[in-house]
Amino acid sequence: MPGIKAVLETSFLDWRGRVCAVLFLGGCNFRCPFCHNHSLVLTPGEYETISVEAAARQLAPFRKWLGGICITGGEPTLDPDLAGMIRFLKDSGWPVKLDTNGSRPEVLAELLAAGLLDAVAMDVKAPLDPEKYSGCAGVPVDLGRIRESIRLLGESGIEHEFRMTVVPRYHTRDDIAAWAAALGPGPAKLTLQNFNPRTTLDPELGREKGFAAEVFESFRTLVEQAGKNARLA
Amino acid sequence: MGVVMPLAEKRTSTAASLGRGDSTDLALFVRSSQDDITGWDRQRIVEALLRETLIDRDTAERISIEIEETISSGKVKTVTGPLIREMVNAKLLEMGLEEARRRHTRLGVPLYDVDQLLVQHNKENANVPHGPEATNLTLAEGIKKEYALLHVFSPEVADAHLSGDIHLHDLGFIDRPYCSGQSLEYIKKFGLNLPHALSMAAPAKHPEVLLAHMIKFAAALQSHFAGAIGWDAVNLFYAPYLEELDDRGVKQLAQMLIFEFSQQAVARGGQAIFSDINIYWEVPKHFEDVPAIGPGGKYTGKTYAEYEKQAQRFAWALFEVYKKGDAAGRPFFFPKPLVHITEKFFRTEGHMEFLEHICEVAAEKGNTYFVFDRGETAKISECCRLSFKLEASDFEDAKEPWRMRYSALQNVTINLPRLAYQAKGDDTRLFSLLTRKIELAVKAHEEKKKFIEKLMSLGESGPLSMLAMKLDGQTYLRLHRCSYLVGMVGLNELVKVHFGQELHESDEAMKLGLKVIAHMNIICHKLSEATGMKLVLEQTPAESTAYRFAKLDMTHYGDQAQEVVQGNPERGEIYYTNSTLYHVGARMNPIQRVEREGLFHPLIEAGSITHIWLGEARPDKKALAGFIINVFRHTQNDQMAFSPEFTSCLDCGRTSRGLQEECPYCHSAHVDGITRITGYFTKISSWNKGKLGELHERYRNDNQFAGAR
Repeated sequence: MPGIKAVLETSFLDWRGRVCAVLFLGGCNFRCPFCHNHSLVLTPGEYETISVEAAARQLAPFRKWLGGICITGGEPTLDPDLAGMIRFLKDSGWPVKLDTNGSRPEVLAELLAAGLLDAVAMDVKAPLDPEKYSGCAGVPVDLGRIRESIRLLGESGIEHEFRMTVVPRYHTRDDIAAWAAALGPGPAKLTLQNFNPRTTLDPELGREKGFAAEVFESFRTLVEQAGKNARLA
Repeated sequence: MGVVMPLAEKRTSTAASLGRGDSTDLALFVRSSQDDITGWDRQRIVEALLRETLIDRDTAERISIEIEETISSGKVKTVTGPLIREMVNAKLLEMGLEEARRRHTRLGVPLYDVDQLLVQHNKENANVPHGPEATNLTLAEGIKKEYALLHVFSPEVADAHLSGDIHLHDLGFIDRPYCSGQSLEYIKKFGLNLPHALSMAAPAKHPEVLLAHMIKFAAALQSHFAGAIGWDAVNLFYAPYLEELDDRGVKQLAQMLIFEFSQQAVARGGQAIFSDINIYWEVPKHFEDVPAIGPGGKYTGKTYAEYEKQAQRFAWALFEVYKKGDAAGRPFFFPKPLVHITEKFFRTEGHMEFLEHICEVAAEKGNTYFVFDRGETAKISECCRLSFKLEASDFEDAKEPWRMRYSALQNVTINLPRLAYQAKGDDTRLFSLLTRKIELAVKAHEEKKKFIEKLMSLGESGPLSMLAMKLDGQTYLRLHRCSYLVGMVGLNELVKVHFGQELHESDEAMKLGLKVIAHMNIICHKLSEATGMKLVLEQTPAESTAYRFAKLDMTHYGDQAQEVVQGNPERGEIYYTNSTLYHVGARMNPIQRVEREGLFHPLIEAGSITHIWLGEARPDKKALAGFIINVFRHTQNDQMAFSPEFTSCLDCGRTSRGLQEECPYCHSAHVDGITRITGYFTKISSWNKGKLGELHERYRNDNQFAGAR
């Protein structure tokens, strides 16, 4: 049974424009080889579960400093208590942002419909090609579900962004351009993150390198050419 | 200096024939320290002893004869001035004349040390490069330091320094005040008119010329002060010169200013000028109605309040330059920009855009220092964290801003953990020991003050002629307005020894920490009244003191010290936590750090700072701006800075974010790290061991699952 496995009280990175706290939920249905939080994915049972009430108590002293709470994982939409958890936080006055891999659009739809989310960041791992996508996710992925999540966010009217970790082994320039083009109409906010071999789920990837910095920087143009708002993290 | 040469074997008489007063028989050449070779003359020993010590003539004669006998007995093959002096000193000691030996001693450096020094890099100050000018500086500092300990300070003070009870900062600069803050108005009004200069310049008519004057004046000041050269409200005082310039011209001027300061690696010892520029988005209240000085040193007929827009243009342009960094994209190390956040700041149009602009610089390059002037206080900031709150008399001076020249004469730091070792858990003893050390620091201040007063009394013909110049009727260095700093190192470790927990571990530990600093504050106030000197607490930057105290305590209080020193003892990378800061590795969020460290700040009148280490993370400018507003509104924190880390590639020359083992552009492993050491950016390869130990332990607010760095 997953649940909240850790609380980061302050982050300047996880919500554009805000200082936020981060709740990490255990468990994930993907096995991205480049995952940095893999202990949370593979062995969530090793961490004690923190109740949402306890997390809220821990964050209460920082209320006036924080612009909200970011819920990340693992994959938070797997948690059957997610809606209840967010409702509790919203009732306590916290704006909430969700990080998701978009594999469970029905959960996303429910949360959006209930007005529980202030912002969403969705990891879109690769261009929407079954083989490429599954390679990056480490498991077979039903792209229909990913497309549905992208559509939901595009129509949600709430703040949202799409993110991709770019890895030389998996992503070519064409892939990045195709990826950017697939992400809905309009100037969506896209964030690229360069692969960092420091700790990876697949130890073999740990011996590989990220894109050379200038190559990575050139990806900005690719995203902008697709008419999107690019950010490199 | 004393160079050895072979003894000329031309003795015309034997030792037996030597008699009293007869000192010419020994036809022996002595290589003197005056770069010449003179004949042997025993009377020179006598003259030196009578001139330099208080012993009587007969004793001096006797010593000279005995020395002559030793030399003529053939035991010595080569004779130099320094050797004779050493022999005389040994004789004085033999005779129990220790005070005379002290006065007669020679200051110098062993041959071996010079050999090492010329080749190896001195890392006491990471801002000193390695080169002939730097070794000149180190050698001169070495001798002046010995001089200070022997001759300026009393044995009690000198011993306390040597044993590590206290640290007298910048002993090698004993003949200079510590740091200074000035106003551009001085050179705007008087031009560049320095005593004994080869030429004199009238007040500048053009902005570039004003800049040239500023840089040269800063360089001249740097050779008269041990520490930082700060400039108040730089963007405002430039403003009357900017009206003719378009935006491109203003940007160009900003670029020139920053490059000129950051590339002046020709000051003292080949160092860059340790420079700070204070920047205001608003026109500070105390300058609103002040008549502005413009080109040619003439009043423009307007007040500074009317130059708000010009001043803002320049402030904006300066931060555009900082954002870009140098030609390799590295952050500029100097001048350090200090932006004052005040109530008026938030009432001034465009402040949010400017705040986000400087926060973007903080996120990208880290340069920005945020100085919080709450309520009616106004401050001028100079050094890493040194600032002065302006008082009633300063507001009077503000009407003629060229008068606003401030200086701290000296900084003396107290080794706090050692007091806890000595107190052995007894509160009363802890606080009485602390009082005694502050009294000792004050004694050190009185001694330095007396020495500087002596130099200043020689006026424009003395060594401090520049500080004694009186272009506005009073000396440039306003001695009566000087501050005397009392610093501290290792409050965190004192608390750990005395109470059993570090500052971040419990509220009780924090309470003890606050009690200690409050006590220091009260004692400083009391002693200020008693001595008439303005004694104020300062957070010592302690670039090398934190290492020195830890090392000395490991030697003298090993059993106790090994339990509390931070860092890695096996690698010798040990240190005490700086001043009143929390342990750099404490896993506390930035909010807690600014709030809790900020509780000390009102007690530390000469200024404090909280550092938030960012590492690789590139925070969002809007998030940082919101954070800064909260720091101003909800804490007592005086000043803060965000410190990112960079990797500079020595092969391809490019700069990347984070401390990397190899360059992410060209994958070369030939890289150097760049980050803040105590209060300024430097290359990590120039750091001392203690600070390296600290760097390894920095907590960077990372996500705990992202893998430890």
